[in-house]
Amino acid sequence: MLLEARNLHVGYGDATAIWDVSLDVDAGEIVSVIGPNGAGKTTLINAMAGLLRCRGGELSFDGADMTRVRAHDYCGHGIALVPEGRRLFVKMSVEENLELGCYLAAARAHRQESLERVYGLFPILRDKRRQLAGELSGGQQQMVAIGRALMARPRIVLFDEPSLGLAPTIVDDMFDIIARVRQDGAAVLLVEQNVLKALDVADRAYVLEQGRIVSTGLPTDLLQQPHIREAYLGV
Amino acid sequence: MPSATLLGQALISGVLAGGMYGLLALGLSLSWGLLRLVNLSHFALAFLAAYLTYELGTTYHVAPWWAAAMVVPVMFVIGLAQHWLFDRFKVNELASLLITFSFAVILEVAIQLYWTADYRRFETHYSTLSIKWGAFYIPVLDLVLCLVAGVLAVGTWLWLRKTYVGKALRAAAEDADIAAAYGVDHKKLAYLLSGMGAAYAGIAGTFIALIQTLAPAQIWVWLGGVFAVVIIGRLGNPLGALLAGMLIGASESIAMAVLEPAWAPVVSFSVLIAILLWDPEWL
Amino acid sequence: MAVNAARDLPKAAAAAAIVALAFLPMAKMPAFYESFIYLIFFWVSLSTSWALLSGFAGYFSLGHAAFFGVGVYTTAALTTKFGMPFLVTVPVAAALAALLAAGIGAVVFRLRRLRGELFALLTLAVTFVIATIILNTPIDGGGGVFMSAVPLPDLMPTQTGTIYILGFAMCVLTLATAWWVAHSRLGLGLFAIHDDEDVAEAKGVPTFRYKIAAFALSAGIAGAVGGIHAMYVGFITVAGTFELTVGLYVVLMSVLGGARHWLGPAIGATAITALLYAFISGGEAIMGRAIVGLILIAAILWLPDGVIPAIQAWLKRRRAAAVTTRAAVVPVVAAAAPTISERSILQVRGVTKHFGGLQALAGVDLDVHEGEIFGLVGPNGSGKTTLINVISGFYPLTSGTITLDGAEIGRDPAHEIARRGVARTYQIPRPFANMTVLDNVALCATFGGPRRSKAEMRDEALHWIGFTGLGGKEEVLPAGLNLHERKFLELARALAARPKLLLLDEVLSGLNPTEIDNAIRLVRAIRAQGATIVFVEHLMRAVVELSDRVAVLNEGKLFALGKPREVMRDPRVVSIYLGKAYAA
Repeated sequence: MLLEARNLHVGYGDATAIWDVSLDVDAGEIVSVIGPNGAGKTTLINAMAGLLRCRGGELSFDGADMTRVRAHDYCGHGIALVPEGRRLFVKMSVEENLELGCYLAAARAHRQESLERVYGLFPILRDKRRQLAGELSGGQQQMVAIGRALMARPRIVLFDEPSLGLAPTIVDDMFDIIARVRQDGAAVLLVEQNVLKALDVADRAYVLEQGRIVSTGLPTDLLQQPHIREAYLGV
Repeated sequence: MPSATLLGQALISGVLAGGMYGLLALGLSLSWGLLRLVNLSHFALAFLAAYLTYELGTTYHVAPWWAAAMVVPVMFVIGLAQHWLFDRFKVNELASLLITFSFAVILEVAIQLYWTADYRRFETHYSTLSIKWGAFYIPVLDLVLCLVAGVLAVGTWLWLRKTYVGKALRAAAEDADIAAAYGVDHKKLAYLLSGMGAAYAGIAGTFIALIQTLAPAQIWVWLGGVFAVVIIGRLGNPLGALLAGMLIGASESIAMAVLEPAWAPVVSFSVLIAILLWDPEWL
Repeated sequence: MAVNAARDLPKAAAAAAIVALAFLPMAKMPAFYESFIYLIFFWVSLSTSWALLSGFAGYFSLGHAAFFGVGVYTTAALTTKFGMPFLVTVPVAAALAALLAAGIGAVVFRLRRLRGELFALLTLAVTFVIATIILNTPIDGGGGVFMSAVPLPDLMPTQTGTIYILGFAMCVLTLATAWWVAHSRLGLGLFAIHDDEDVAEAKGVPTFRYKIAAFALSAGIAGAVGGIHAMYVGFITVAGTFELTVGLYVVLMSVLGGARHWLGPAIGATAITALLYAFISGGEAIMGRAIVGLILIAAILWLPDGVIPAIQAWLKRRRAAAVTTRAAVVPVVAAAAPTISERSILQVRGVTKHFGGLQALAGVDLDVHEGEIFGLVGPNGSGKTTLINVISGFYPLTSGTITLDGAEIGRDPAHEIARRGVARTYQIPRPFANMTVLDNVALCATFGGPRRSKAEMRDEALHWIGFTGLGGKEEVLPAGLNLHERKFLELARALAARPKLLLLDEVLSGLNPTEIDNAIRLVRAIRAQGATIVFVEHLMRAVVELSDRVAVLNEGKLFALGKPREVMRDPRVVSIYLGKAYAA
């Protein structure tokens, strides 16, 4: 397994948001975590990106124990995050945002090549590369956020609610891009509240509710579960 | 109304004097804008450097530039030490202001104990040199100061824009968590920046030693004006700091020529108040 | 009666000290001591007055010297240029300084995003401007003002004695004012502003008015202190009066003693003044300044809240075993059959809200009936929380009208809406961090509900603390509660305001299943007491279980409305939640 979490506990302050979660992602796989809002999806992914400390359990990446690794060393291991709400550096240009993705020496050596790849995926960004990231539309900002992650030449990309706040047609594009990311060789861990889209693109999926994994399996199997209907609609 | 020549001379000396504003504002602007630390002891550090330059020059006959070469690295280390304190106690913006104020008082006392409260003047033959340009006189030292301030401001600006370290600092100032997720070790860079800020104070100090008469209480004279310059030039923007410094220097100088000299402070602070009321996000 | 004696001891000691200090000038001690003690009075008054706004409400001013200076120069100008009797000029000095502060406050407190640093810098800048104006106008003119010809009233045998007694009177008056403010409605509001201004406003504190009042009071006292100090100084210069360090010393003294406590600045000021004086009389004035600097650095790093709060915390830890108050645990009763009238208590008509180019609400019409539990659901970003924020007045409307109980409230400030009977909770609890659970709830009873006596307010607060199951935690600070207790504290605070309409923003998120069941029972019980409830919730099980009617918002518009089970089975609703194919 590339990414492996065993009995993970994560929380903010005195509130534990993730209880006893075990989850894994293999190389080249797309794994989705679905769940209603407030289930702890963002907490889970922030812990995997090193932004939150794990309170208990194990987290390993490619065999290395990640629980003692400092936040700014996660990227060097090959983990890149596309955060919820994009969190671009809005006062910096599009290209500078992308360059921050290849801040570490190993990725920096491939700067030009990576830039070409990102501009190939999102041609509009090439035209806007000198504009401030904060001035772009929501969809374009999401492109920058994904591009920034790809610049790090990651082995896994963590997507946190990539469809949030985007128009439906752009949401479709985003999921095409996620499939492309996998074709280029990186694994994907995706958390989403858009259940159908998330299951459609995934190889495997987990259902997270109130901080616990309540179900896991192939997307087609999960879709049949009445439980999912209940979790989302209460009926 | 004063003559055109007088106004022209006022404008020139104002812009040149603004170089000192800009130079002092530079380090302050960096640490405030990019680290959210307000360093009131910046001025005290500059005066410490000035006194050290004076001491090296008068007692040991060290040329000012050699003195600067010795003093500036010392200032860098002091900057690192100060930052260690901020880092260790996770000091916020307001607490940093109060702590550095106390620190400035302590430095002032230290200076007064060693060099006494008497006025000190570092006499060099540079201070009398000036270039005649048409009807105007341009003091050489002020000109050099402006050039140095310009080179430092432009250099720092380029450094922040063009290098990875500079971009990482700007990114971390916006969102330290996400910058860390891409490998930026913000803590380490913050030390570097704090050291640089203190080193800039050291460079300013060298010029203060050459241009001005030194007294411990002078530490506080610059505070108000430079703060206005830092904010008008926008926090964390080295070019802004320099330009705002020259703008304020020139307008004060013109105000002195047209009105009473004592009206000068109203100019910078009225501009400051107007800007802050017009756009509170300016800060 | 031993307990009473212990409690009355500080009062008796204070009274004795006041009498002793008042008659001290009669003792004919050397003028040196009188002027030293006067300086303590001076700094105590000045730093205490600073703390009225900056300590209590947390708006740090670096420009206290401006108001002090206005006082100094008012007295100087009126006595020397117009021959006005000195004592008459002191109230004038206070009035002018207060007026100036009110004017500045009326401008800067309107800035919606006025941050602490911004206020500090603006006040600092104002100091420089005022100093320059005084320097360049006939008020001073650059030469300074001699006060030696101004007659002092013969209040005491000596001149220094008279100045001493005036400083003393000012000091007592200032401390009394500070004590009164700290224990008044105004002070309660200011402490709430300090902790979280938005929440304070939402709970009914008229924040704008209170800040201006505190600023004017603070500046007025500084002005009066300045007026008296003009006589002490004798020769007044702009440089000496508007000295930057005056503004900073006041801050440091208050912070050292504890700026949020009425007596804190007095302790800090006395300690620092005495320390400085000790060094001066020992001929080591310069070293004294350095030592004071060192002490301040240490204090800010290790005692960031100041000496008094540190002592209070220590005493509290010692007495931790003895619980003083305990709310009666009110059993959560099973709700009786609800009575929902057809009358709508809340009418929302054509409400829109834009943030720049983003349209968060695109014309919402809603009617909430009196006594019902009304669920508000929808996907992320559909505008649910924005609607709550608009109804409670946190965001101004872009267009449309909102009517509560027949009265239009759409354009009222948030505190006015709170006073009219709308209470809200926050998704992430936002308790006032420096207030105990009891004070948190009591504040909301004070500002939200009808006017009642302090004791009634306290009983009301204890009632709701018991009702929400927080009994025994009355004296705990919010940081000592766990998440589910903080959520219930949110409820207790909202309930203490006796709202007609209760807006609940995701009260269940982050709770475990047992806690959720408790919360659901509590919400039912709240309705049984007569409140109408609008609640935003993601947990659909709870929405279906609790609500009488449900509204679905999507992209800022009302998408569906009706009985919960019917609405949630509507294929259109299913499709916006799960995607189209799933609904089919």
